[in-house]
Parts: sequence; structure tokens; C-alpha cells
Amino acid sequence: MTTPKPPPGHFTILYFASATSFTAKNVESLPAPLSLKKLFDVLEERYKGIKDSVLDHSLVTINLAYVDIPEEGEEDVIIKEGDEVAIIPPVSSG
Amino acid sequence: MQLNSTEDSRPNGVAIATNGEHNGFSRRLTDEEFDRYSRQMIVPGMGREAQLRLINSKVLIIGGGGLGCPAAQYVAGAGVGTIGIIDGDVVEPSNLHRQVGHATSRIGMKKVDSLITHLRDLNPLPTYTPYTYPISPENAADIISQYDLVLDCTDNPATRYLISDVCVLLCKPLVSAASIQKSGQLIVLNCPPTPQGKVDKKYPPCYRCCFRKPPPANTQLSCGEAGIMGPVVGLMGVAQAGEAIKILASALHLPSSIPSNPEDDPHNLIQPTLLIYSYDLTAAPGPFTFRALKMAPRKKNCFACGENSPQTLTLEGVKSGNPNYIQFCGIQTPKIVLPEQDRITASAYHAARQNGQLQNHILLDTREKEHFSFGSIDGAVNVPFGKLLMKAATIKRHGGDAEEILPVEISEDQKDVPPIFVVCRRGLDSQEAVEKLKELGVDRGGKRKIVDIIGGMKAWKEEVDPSFPFI
Repeated sequence: MTTPKPPPGHFTILYFASATSFTAKNVESLPAPLSLKKLFDVLEERYKGIKDSVLDHSLVTINLAYVDIPEEGEEDVIIKEGDEVAIIPPVSSG
Repeated sequence: MQLNSTEDSRPNGVAIATNGEHNGFSRRLTDEEFDRYSRQMIVPGMGREAQLRLINSKVLIIGGGGLGCPAAQYVAGAGVGTIGIIDGDVVEPSNLHRQVGHATSRIGMKKVDSLITHLRDLNPLPTYTPYTYPISPENAADIISQYDLVLDCTDNPATRYLISDVCVLLCKPLVSAASIQKSGQLIVLNCPPTPQGKVDKKYPPCYRCCFRKPPPANTQLSCGEAGIMGPVVGLMGVAQAGEAIKILASALHLPSSIPSNPEDDPHNLIQPTLLIYSYDLTAAPGPFTFRALKMAPRKKNCFACGENSPQTLTLEGVKSGNPNYIQFCGIQTPKIVLPEQDRITASAYHAARQNGQLQNHILLDTREKEHFSFGSIDGAVNVPFGKLLMKAATIKRHGGDAEEILPVEISEDQKDVPPIFVVCRRGLDSQEAVEKLKELGVDRGGKRKIVDIIGGMKAWKEEVDPSFPFI
């Protein structure tokens, strides 16, 4: 992949389409490890309103593979140092 | 070019098979077909059989715009025998930078008719079926049922969910693509086509398995609002045709390709993949990025294809308005409506400026800077709406002078001058901006008026300056 490695103790997060517009970023590094269940809260803390406007209907991948956001009582996934997470909102236009 | 064919050619060029079989899969190719498709037929994995499969296939292209034009060109060029195109729009000048199947000389024509004109010129052999009206819950099943494979080339979430649902119900593979601004997405869904409700093994996902719910209505943008780069949407449309040709040539669209024991069947090895194309990932050294993302298989709890879906989604239901796609995807309504005293019409604002009532005021224009670059009202200062919201959130979280939200172009003494007027493109963002500014206390407890210009620059063009370059 073409994105540079995140600094030690971090993972890379990529924003696509409306996630890019909302954060005004394509990519950044966030502290790892992080529980996938907490990812949306961490992003909401940084970008107020992103949960309702973007995250709730986006799909999330870790290292290019789709992951379900675990619900209450479901087993969590840990985002590790060096992982690449992507936030992919649906695009509808054509 | 004359071919040494052993076929019994009729004067009109239509060859008939000599082995007695008139079934489309065992006939020989006509001279014209042989010539026309020779370059793709010799590609490893193609050959005569694959070409005949294309010729005997029926593809429905829903949407004759930025995706549909390039997709249709390659589907037609490859010799798919029957091509249906559905779209209710007419060709407009603003389409032509990306909708390459139309032409300046056909502005005002139905897109479907314009595109078929182009395709017939490219390849007269296929049968082209025009549907010059939009797809709807009432007509979707009747139309889709006549085809082997569907390309979703549409431009809104409600239609995307409708098409995916009907393709699940009718067991049709769906090649779905979408594009806006500088990014595009492509995914093959429900392929090989699998009956609704089957979840005993891994099966391909539908659109709802990938995107469970649509974005909120007020964040859904069309190409007309957000813009679109021609090559981005073009690339996605071409890739759609590529997937369609691959599926048809290898017979993955046929119900017989549904494996009885999916784990033993090579078809089941198809990994559902979402292709993402985007122009500028600033951290990347290159100017563009492709990412192929592994998607999950069919979801057990999917509303459309999951375990209990036969109870939640039926053809009769869809036809009679259940689910309600428009409601599901939200109706575009302004989120807030400001009270009368905080709003002014474009013409009243203009009049107040003209007659000297408004010598000193701040005018904020919250459109994106690209829109602003084509023109603005005299004295307007550009504060793109997204940036304004970000700034507002930062001030709220970390504290600080609320008036720092006003752009630096406004000098200190100017900042003391009431009132502030806010204008945007069509009058929605400006209302939210007025509300945000008040929330932060920029109105100084009501001492300073902050006013929304109703209807934005669109109203300004209509009411005040017809020559204004509004996009």
C-alpha cells in the first residue's frame, strides 16, 4: 500500500468520500491499541457530529478487510499498532 | 475482409448453423461477428463459447449518465445481444464533460434515445430496448425480470436500495458503481445469484449487507451539488462493464451456477470485493489510489436476503410501496427554519444596500471556495460551511473568543459593526450558520443582528442579478 507507516504506537486511519469532507483529512494516525467498539467514540470526540453524519452508515475495514462493528455483548476487535483502518461511506451519485 | 467460412451464409449476412442445432450456444459466428469481436475472442479464457454467451445475454443498464454511458459503450462493443437502458432524464450541457454517450447535437433529447443512437453507431448488432422513464417500485420487477444481469448506474440511495432488493428477489446478479467528486466505488453483488433467505453457507452479499442504512438526507449530495470529475466516474463505468462481461462470459449469471454444495464449487471462491478509487490521498506519493477491500458474505440478519428476509421483503410488497424507499432514505427537508425576524429576502437585502440602510455590515458567504471563485456579492467574505462548523466545534470544546470564528479578512474594528448577513448556495447552510453563530454568542446577547439571506445565491440570481454565474 502507498500510505506511509504510522509512528510507533499508532495506527493509520483513512477517510473516504464524505468522511474526508467531514474531517478535512484523507489520512491521520491515532494511538493504538484501540478497541473497535471505542473507535466511533474516539472519532466523535475529535469531530463532533461525525457519528450521526458519517460513521453510522459507513462501512469500516481493517487492513483492507470488512469488519462488523461489534454490538453490546459481542466480542470486540482490537485495532493494533501499524494497522490500516478505513472509513468508507456509501457513495450514491453517478 | 472475406473469411473462408464453411458456414452457409445467406445473402443478408446471417449465417445459419450447419450442424442442425439452432440453439444459440452451438451455432457458428457470423462473418460480421467474427470480424467485430475477433480481438476480444482470442484473449485467453474467452473463445467462441464465451462470445456466444455474451451474444445470448441480456443486460439492463439503469441510468444513462456518467456511469451508464461508458458502461453501455463497452457492453455494446463486446456484443452483448440485448441491452436495455432505463432513464427518464434529458441530455443537458452540464452532462457532457462526463456522459460520453451523448453529444452536443443531442442536447434536449431523452438520454436513453441519445445513448442508443451512439451505441447503434458503435455496434448495430445488439437489440437495444429503450425505457424513457425512471425506474420505480411499480415497474422495477417487470423490467428487471427480462434480463440476466443488471448494472446500477443510478444517482440516489433510494433507487440503489430498490434495485438491489429487486435483484435479490429475482435472483439477478448486480454490478453496482457510484461516484462523486474525486472518488468512486464498485462492487459486484448477489453473484452468483442466490435465492433469498439462503444462509446455510457463505453466499454473496447484497447492497444492504454492505450498507445497512443510507446517509442522512441532508448529507446526501448529488453530482450537481458536489461536483464530479469526468474520468473518475468514467473509470467506474468502464469497470462495471468489465465485471459484467466477465460474469456473462463465464456464465456466472446463470441460476445453474448456484452451487448445491457451495464449498465444493469454484464459484463460491469469488471473494466479494469493494473497489475504491480516489484521486488524492495526500499522504500517498502517487496522484491516485486504488483499494480492493474484502467484503463480508451475505449477512444472516439482512433485511433483503438474510434468514428471515422472505417475511420482510417480497415482490408484491415492493410493488405496493413496502418498504417505502423514499421514506427510508429520508426526504430532503431543511433541518431548521429560522424565525421571520432573522431572515431577509435577497431582493430586500439588495434594496437595503441600494438605499443606504446597510452601509456597514458583514456579509459571510458560506459556499465552498470553488463556488465562490466564480463570483460573489460585493464585499462578501468566504467562510466555507464545513470550516465554519469545525471552527465552531473547536471554540465550543476548547473555549476561546467566539468572534474568532469570523474570518481574518474582517478587521478588528469591522468586527464591532453589526449586523452580520449570511448567504449560501440555496439557503440551507446559511440558516444553520446563523444558528451556530448565535449559539456561540457572536450576536452579543441579541445586541447584534445575524440574518439569513433566504434562498441563497440562487435567489440572488433570480431576484437581483440574472447574470450571476450560479452553479
